[in-house]
Amino acid sequence: MKEKLIKAEKKGKGSQEFVKYFSFSAIIILVLVFWMIDPGFLNRANLSNLLSDTAPLMIMACGATFVLILGSVDLSVGAVCSVVNVLAVFFLTMFFAQNGNVLGSALMGYGLALLFGGVAGLLLGLAHVFLKLPSFIASLGFMSVWKSVALLVSNSPVSIPKLLRPAVDWAKISFGVIGLPLVLALIIVITFYIIQTKTNFGKALYAIGGNERAARIAGVNINKTKIVAFVLAGLCAALGSIFLVAKLKSSTPTVGDSFTLLVIASVALGGTALSGGKGSVLGTVLGVFIVSIIRNGMIFAGVDVFWQDIVFGIVVIAAVAVSVDRSIKNLIVK
Amino acid sequence: MKEELLFSAKNIKKSFHSTQALKGVDFEINKGEVVGLIGENGAGKSTLLKVIIGTEAPSAGEMFIKGEKFAPKTPMDANQHGIGMVFQEQSLITNLSVGQNIFFGYEKDFRKLIYVNWNKMYEESQKALDNVGATGISPRKKVLDYNFATRQLIEIAKVVNVSLRSGSDNCLILLDEPTSLLNENEVAALFKEIKKLTALGHSVIFVSHRLDEVLDITDRIYVYKDGMGVGVVDTKDADERKLYEMMVGRSTTTEYYKIDQQIEPDEEVVLECKDLGLSGIFKHVSFELHKGEVLGIAGVVGSGKEDICSVLCGDDIATSGEYYLKGEKVSFKSPNRALKSNVLMVPKERLVEGVVTTLSVAENVAMSQLKKPSVGPFISKRKIMKQANSWIEKLHIKTKNNKELVLQLSGGNQQKVVFARALASESDILILNHPTRGVDVGAKEDLYTLVRKMVKEGKSVILLGDTLDECIGLSNRVLVMKDGLITGELDSPSTNKLKQIDVVTLMM
Repeated sequence: MKEKLIKAEKKGKGSQEFVKYFSFSAIIILVLVFWMIDPGFLNRANLSNLLSDTAPLMIMACGATFVLILGSVDLSVGAVCSVVNVLAVFFLTMFFAQNGNVLGSALMGYGLALLFGGVAGLLLGLAHVFLKLPSFIASLGFMSVWKSVALLVSNSPVSIPKLLRPAVDWAKISFGVIGLPLVLALIIVITFYIIQTKTNFGKALYAIGGNERAARIAGVNINKTKIVAFVLAGLCAALGSIFLVAKLKSSTPTVGDSFTLLVIASVALGGTALSGGKGSVLGTVLGVFIVSIIRNGMIFAGVDVFWQDIVFGIVVIAAVAVSVDRSIKNLIVK
Repeated sequence: MKEELLFSAKNIKKSFHSTQALKGVDFEINKGEVVGLIGENGAGKSTLLKVIIGTEAPSAGEMFIKGEKFAPKTPMDANQHGIGMVFQEQSLITNLSVGQNIFFGYEKDFRKLIYVNWNKMYEESQKALDNVGATGISPRKKVLDYNFATRQLIEIAKVVNVSLRSGSDNCLILLDEPTSLLNENEVAALFKEIKKLTALGHSVIFVSHRLDEVLDITDRIYVYKDGMGVGVVDTKDADERKLYEMMVGRSTTTEYYKIDQQIEPDEEVVLECKDLGLSGIFKHVSFELHKGEVLGIAGVVGSGKEDICSVLCGDDIATSGEYYLKGEKVSFKSPNRALKSNVLMVPKERLVEGVVTTLSVAENVAMSQLKKPSVGPFISKRKIMKQANSWIEKLHIKTKNNKELVLQLSGGNQQKVVFARALASESDILILNHPTRGVDVGAKEDLYTLVRKMVKEGKSVILLGDTLDECIGLSNRVLVMKDGLITGELDSPSTNKLKQIDVVTLMM
């Protein structure tokens, strides 16, 4: 405790400001670098492509932000995303085969897929709260489970049949370079921001992340808050996955694999402390843009596909290393 | 005693961001002297000690030890000059053994190549413990096997040992509220050891909020107020009243525990325990709490009084017996459930279970409110800030503004934040577990007045006093506990306050 106080006091104002503006400056620098490599990076087609890419990640990262503010982590979001991806297409085609109604099938299919995301979050939350498993290990276990489930539902990519295309065409609507998916994602960000700042649940997240014991003694409902946070993370993973279905017009049982890292990197780059207690979904939005620009830029700069993950991994480690708040010397993941 | 200067500090200044914690203070201590340092919360006592030990660099000023200029960069530097400090919040690593803690950072003295001679380290640790009169502690056991009071003794042993190992004949030991966790016997033992140390030519700086202790052990007393020295007095010329006046800047006009304001409780029973028990800790605990009553629970550490609080506030679940609130049988699964029934605890360990240091004062104050101040369905930031401001004013919390992080506040002011939170929750039954720990005299008076006011408004209080004196002074009735059983229930009316000795005989 003492060390914590002293460290925090020693940490000058300068470095705190640095963390605050890191995300902004990183975005500007990255854009400039990629633009210098190839000025085509900023043309309309690529910009619109880049922005529409961010929507699913932004939604998933929103839910994960709450879990990280708690000081917990959910490593199963990617796998949940995979399951929802195959389930959504499976239900869509199944209901469509039964009744031939596109709108009805879409509502039912997406609804059930979303429900699965919520249930997956609930199970993880219950395991974490009542079995007292560290969220790190519990979500790692669920990740393995859901990965298999996704492959069991459908072991190869499935395209959405022509007749069902109206159920996914909404993703193509756009206003200039900004597509409808991004607009919807931003609406979700705003909703989450209101939850974060204006509700008891939001306040409880920060209290638990900052000092769980003190929050408990003060009468904060720990179990409920934690479970709700995990359910929201699951729902967000599911919703992000449905956006992916709409964008790709098909399902892939491994689509979520890369998202676990992307989501956590986005949240961390957005300034949410991995030790909990600090952070915001607004910061996460910036983190999502950094991640998307790096990924898009690498393709644009012609980085070899097999090298991309190496480069991305190193960039994420380096970026988190400079932006992470080192004022709290504590466990990184509870 | 020979008057030979050991250490001096001149015109020390220290600012944190925009707050100036020390505005140029002087300090001198002679060889073999015990000097007290007192002042209200936030007066700069702890800050000066941190500057001396090297965890904080002064913004201005100079320090000298034995005439040489001294500017430590780390506590290790200071240790090598024979200066050691016992911090207010403990700094032991609880999952290491006592011996490993005592020689933490000095393992190389016991090392040959990669082999560490643990046996030798444990022998030396035993000597270090004996040196400060800490008996019954095994150096091989882990620190977490011992309670807080014992840990305090281990910490003192560690610091004294480290300072002595520097080989200096005149060490300087800094004690920042060393007695706040100790009971009276332990305090007496500690004082005996302090006297032994000073007889050998070592010096001690003693910081405490307990004026009687300061008067008891010190030779001279420095009084600080708002980061400045307001005077230094010889202990033989001082008394509590004089010190109090210097610290607070006004004389105490009312009696300390506001006994004249003590009221007779209602007949109505708000809380009742019947044969309550927690397996292995306490059993057959039965008592009633009336509306408007302050019920004190006295007992030594380990008597089970803390655990009763845990059960009452929902942190633990009783394994036997019954617990009634206003006639209704209850069993709380969590403090959250208890809060819903208007029962809340002010916990003992401030930093561990009291405050969330990463949040602001205002957010901490609002934490225990199930229905936070809101506009429509949303929490209103403005109302939360307004509420915080009113508590900051009422409890005289020293903070720049309500947005300041609790991390930046001094210990006593953090405690006031916890208190404000409990009062803001509007619970009817408050369990005050050492409510005035580490709080200065002026603030204590504020808190006592608050307790009196609360019960007048119809609230009820269960009190575990920070001292026995406080427990008796504030309570209408005192339950005495020993080894998990209630050994006595004594009335303490305003007209005829209990004598300490009557309670102590039941405790031991």
